[in-house]
Amino acid sequence: MSVLVASPGHDLSLCIPDLKPRRKEAVLAEMVMAAHQAGVVTDPVLLVELLKLRERLGSTGVGRGVAVPHARSATVLVPRLVVGRSRRGIDWGAEDDAPASLILLVLIPSDWSDEATHGLIARATSAARLQRTRQKLLDASSLEALATLLREALA
Amino acid sequence: MNEGPVSKAVAGPPVPLSSMASAVLLADLDVLIREAQDPVSRARLRKLGFPLEGLSRIVAARDRLAESMDRRWTLAYERARHRYGRAVVAVRDRVCSGCFVTLPSVARPRGAEEALHVCESCGRILYWT
Repeated sequence: MSVLVASPGHDLSLCIPDLKPRRKEAVLAEMVMAAHQAGVVTDPVLLVELLKLRERLGSTGVGRGVAVPHARSATVLVPRLVVGRSRRGIDWGAEDDAPASLILLVLIPSDWSDEATHGLIARATSAARLQRTRQKLLDASSLEALATLLREALA
Repeated sequence: MNEGPVSKAVAGPPVPLSSMASAVLLADLDVLIREAQDPVSRARLRKLGFPLEGLSRIVAARDRLAESMDRRWTLAYERARHRYGRAVVAVRDRVCSGCFVTLPSVARPRGAEEALHVCESCGRILYWT
């Protein structure tokens, strides 16, 4: 799947090792802006609004400190995963109430099928499901180390 | 979660979006709603850990957004949606990504954010990226 060549492990600008915002919507905005600057997104304001509306459908916090916000939109030019870490953790409304420390933003072009879309979201979700992998991603001390771990986790 | 410019717009106050942006958001919301209503997709997403209990909120937001749009746009939108499902498609390298016809104009039309451009071949609304 194209995510293999489009993962943050291959584009360091899509790894944000230390997210500064404390609120969910500000985190989404920072991550979308990184994607916009990398040429992945045409209209960041519109995409952030779609992501915020998606959160109203149901939280994308999957528990254990992980959130996988996602959007399929005409504003997305190519499929990409944007990865962010928050040292403090962000209230993402997950069922287990754990603040999200690892945020995997999945961006999908509008012409992708449901099956392909869900496949990519599933890959992102499963990449952080194992406690050992999740901890390694959180502990990686450099951007390069984080990128390498992501490549391995998504392989 | 705080409301952003569009979230506020769909809740009632004046819409700070261009007509094109509203149409793109409407199309994206329609995909999201269809996905959340489809039993197979719904089951997949729930299995991945995503609750979808807010469907009625999204449908209401979608309807308010549609009502806020210019009637000419909504007519073109609904016509294309009824026929194809997805009414707004991206233009990539002069190609309509809905029907894959090469469009006659080389450049993005002036005022593309406000003017309604539909594909002469399929009738979908064109979003110049």
